[in-house]
Amino acid sequence: MRSSKGILIDTSLCTGCEECIVACKKENGLGKDRPWRGQGTIGELSASRWSTIIRKPGGHYVRNQCRHCLEPACVSACIVGALKKLPEGPVVYDENRCMGCRYCMLACPYGVPRYDWDRNTPLVQKCKLCEPRLAKGRPPACVEACPEKAMIFGGRDELITEAHRRIQANPNRYVPHVWGETEFGGTAVMYVSNISLDFLAWKPDTDDKSFPELSWAALKKVPGIVVGMGTLMAGTYWIIGRRMRLAAMEAEANKHVKELEERGTTNDSANEPEETTDGKNE
Amino acid sequence: MNRRLTILKTILWAFVGGLAMLTVARFWHGLGATTNLSDAAPWGLWIALDVMAGVALAAGGFVLAGTVYVFGRERYRPLVRPAILTAFLGYVAVAVGLFYDLGLPWHIWHPMVYWQHHSVLFEVAMCVITYLAVLALEFSPVVLEHPMFGHPMFRGILKVLKRATIPLVIAGIVLSTLHQSSLGSLFLITPHRLHPLWYSPIIYVLFFVSAVALGMMMVSFESLFSAFFYGHKVRKDLLANLGKAAAVVLTMYVVLRVGDLIVRGVLPSALDGSWQSVLFISELLVCAVIPVALLLKRRVRNSVAGLAVCSILTVLGMVWNRLNVAIVAINRPAGMSYFPSWMELLVSLGVISAATLSFLYLVEQLKVYEERARTFPRKPSYDPASLHALAPYALSTPRRFSLAFVIAATLVAYFLPRDAVLGVRPTRTPVDAVRAVDGLLREDREGTTKRLDILTAGVDTPEVTKRKRLFMIDGNRDGNTVLFDHAAHIKRISIPGRDSCGTCHHLNMPLDRNSSCSECHRDMYEPTDIFSHSSHVRKLNGNDGCTRCHSDNSAAKTRDTATACSECHTEEVAQGAFVTSPGARWREAPGYMDAMHALCVTCHQKTIENTPERAPTNLARCDACHNVDHVARLREMIPSHKKMTPSDTFPSRNPISQAGRNKQP
Repeated sequence: MRSSKGILIDTSLCTGCEECIVACKKENGLGKDRPWRGQGTIGELSASRWSTIIRKPGGHYVRNQCRHCLEPACVSACIVGALKKLPEGPVVYDENRCMGCRYCMLACPYGVPRYDWDRNTPLVQKCKLCEPRLAKGRPPACVEACPEKAMIFGGRDELITEAHRRIQANPNRYVPHVWGETEFGGTAVMYVSNISLDFLAWKPDTDDKSFPELSWAALKKVPGIVVGMGTLMAGTYWIIGRRMRLAAMEAEANKHVKELEERGTTNDSANEPEETTDGKNE
Repeated sequence: MNRRLTILKTILWAFVGGLAMLTVARFWHGLGATTNLSDAAPWGLWIALDVMAGVALAAGGFVLAGTVYVFGRERYRPLVRPAILTAFLGYVAVAVGLFYDLGLPWHIWHPMVYWQHHSVLFEVAMCVITYLAVLALEFSPVVLEHPMFGHPMFRGILKVLKRATIPLVIAGIVLSTLHQSSLGSLFLITPHRLHPLWYSPIIYVLFFVSAVALGMMMVSFESLFSAFFYGHKVRKDLLANLGKAAAVVLTMYVVLRVGDLIVRGVLPSALDGSWQSVLFISELLVCAVIPVALLLKRRVRNSVAGLAVCSILTVLGMVWNRLNVAIVAINRPAGMSYFPSWMELLVSLGVISAATLSFLYLVEQLKVYEERARTFPRKPSYDPASLHALAPYALSTPRRFSLAFVIAATLVAYFLPRDAVLGVRPTRTPVDAVRAVDGLLREDREGTTKRLDILTAGVDTPEVTKRKRLFMIDGNRDGNTVLFDHAAHIKRISIPGRDSCGTCHHLNMPLDRNSSCSECHRDMYEPTDIFSHSSHVRKLNGNDGCTRCHSDNSAAKTRDTATACSECHTEEVAQGAFVTSPGARWREAPGYMDAMHALCVTCHQKTIENTPERAPTNLARCDACHNVDHVARLREMIPSHKKMTPSDTFPSRNPISQAGRNKQP
């Protein structure tokens, strides 16, 4: 996907000024923070905070937001296709389709989507990579707002090249890994960093397998199960039904034979009734 | 109606009453008002119990129908109708439960229109919807047999339906196989969340096999149930055989479950003594191992009590299994847990109660069991001997049910938490750890004004400056921070010989946060607005003057749309009285002292220069505001360790009460 866009975040440049968050809130009209219960601090992602900065000891600031995976678990989980991956990169949300099952929140490997728990018409809330801005050829608001150029926006391939260039140019400064290059099938929002960012994913040891593959392994068996189970049941019904019919016929026949035998002891010249019963059964 | 049944129905009606009240709260104020769900726990009790366990409990329908119609085991026929009715009502309960759980339940039909075949949930939804229709068709002959539907048209429909039985049963088996297993497949996409003892690549096989076993045990449970409440004869011969078959399937389940653990190499974690391993082992014991061990004994199998114990154990164990998969064994970020609220629990119980009541009603009205359920034997309203009318019962049974309903609804309404009545407010959350920065304390030469600033390179410092370590605090999360000198506060508040941290950080109390600034700096919020509308009206000649301030005729006549005070009273605004933020780059707000000094002092100085005769002589000096009395008052406002009395809370300036307080020992 040549045209797929993304963001490269260099956490070693971030000073934690939160200009990006202010810009994001303004761009998307998110308003004041509405932290929900169970949230550790107010600075964590919430329905009104689509991106945030995680402070790590030692003056490290790590931005957290939707990664816009190339093979998004949320999109494959969504029951009605309310979440969509656009070819330009963003994973966007259609509130007119959503029915609020919240399977996407369970599926996301980064635990990003948030919910309007305090409204009676709740929606899923997450970063949309400023999709309307991208359509006009402008970079996302957060990238534009960053005073330290800690984030750069561009084609995903160029960003990967740039990331590796930075790491090679400054091997002492960076951890030699581009987070998001291969994780969960690759993401559009990637990181280079001077500290390990494994804490951002729930479980780093998933062999870079994309989550949709996991459920597809079961889903692709559905037609087989329909045909197999249907045939099996219909066949069983037919076989057992036939066997029972035959058993019934045999019992009937035996009864007649017995009757005939009994009659035969008295009268030898009667063979017709057996034939008529057979005809009836056929 | 017998006594047992009346008691049962009264309890069920009470639950339904509670459900009715909670329905209002749930749909009025949203999920947050009634549930304990959060972003860390997007799925809770309603999905786990109403949907996942509900579907599994309704598995008896397809298992029994298959046994009788496909495998030709005719002797089980008496059990088929109740099993199908249970299944049908179970699935209706699932749909109703979903109405509560979905965020936008009026979009519940969307999966039928917007197909997304990559979603396991889509497959489940389609199967459940289709199977609900199949179950309705499978059960409808029982309804149509009722004398009420004697019309030849209904008879015709009945004939067609009876002929379609076999295709319907086979369709039901196929659909059930699909979605009973797919409820497990739902969790294939959550390897990061589900504990490895429950997460398995073959979780769908486990779900299907357990559903088959559970279906059989559920059938025996419900025949024992109706035998208990309606006095039916228990078909011990059938149930014993069913128990034997269930034992075989349950053994298969245990073998699969443990074998899967061995193949994946996580068996050690089932035995390591962690709470998950204890949970896993006890779940497996209750749902399968103990029932199998009991059912293998002929004596147990042939006794009503033994069958009851086994079926209840399996039913509870399998429900527990579904709860574990959907809630308990889900990893959550540290410190974020989920436990259902009492309202969630009551909604689930209410939906189950409503389904049970419907079951009882249909059993009483239709020929579901071989013997029709005994209903309302009329009691004589007069004494047959003396023909005297007897006193009517204080409460007839229907009235008793209504009373239970109303009392339960009232009780629930009374105990509804604040959020469920008035709407949800976001929880107060501690703010981030403050950022510490290197800063400066600037004083002018006389030491009268002090100002905090962030230390930046290339700053000229004409004043006397001191290096400081400062905190940037953004209490209201508006993006602007205040510089806070922690060291100076320690020095100022400290009480000799006593630890002073507790003045602000009284964290020994549960759910406590440190004091906000305004708790000591209470004068921050003293009213300063001295605008008098009536005096302006007088000065501006009554109605003629309205437009002087309310210049826009179309706008509402409010303070917001009126002309600002400073536009007329230009002379009263001192030069430089508006404080600009010193560090725009840091989005830093002026400190409280900066703001007050810049706003008040400049104006005071100007007043005393221009009209010295009209101002007090000390107007421009510190003691104009910071008089001794004022500082003492501020001191009194600072919360201290000593137990407060009402007079402490509102320090009185009345000398008599002051003196009276001093006299106390």
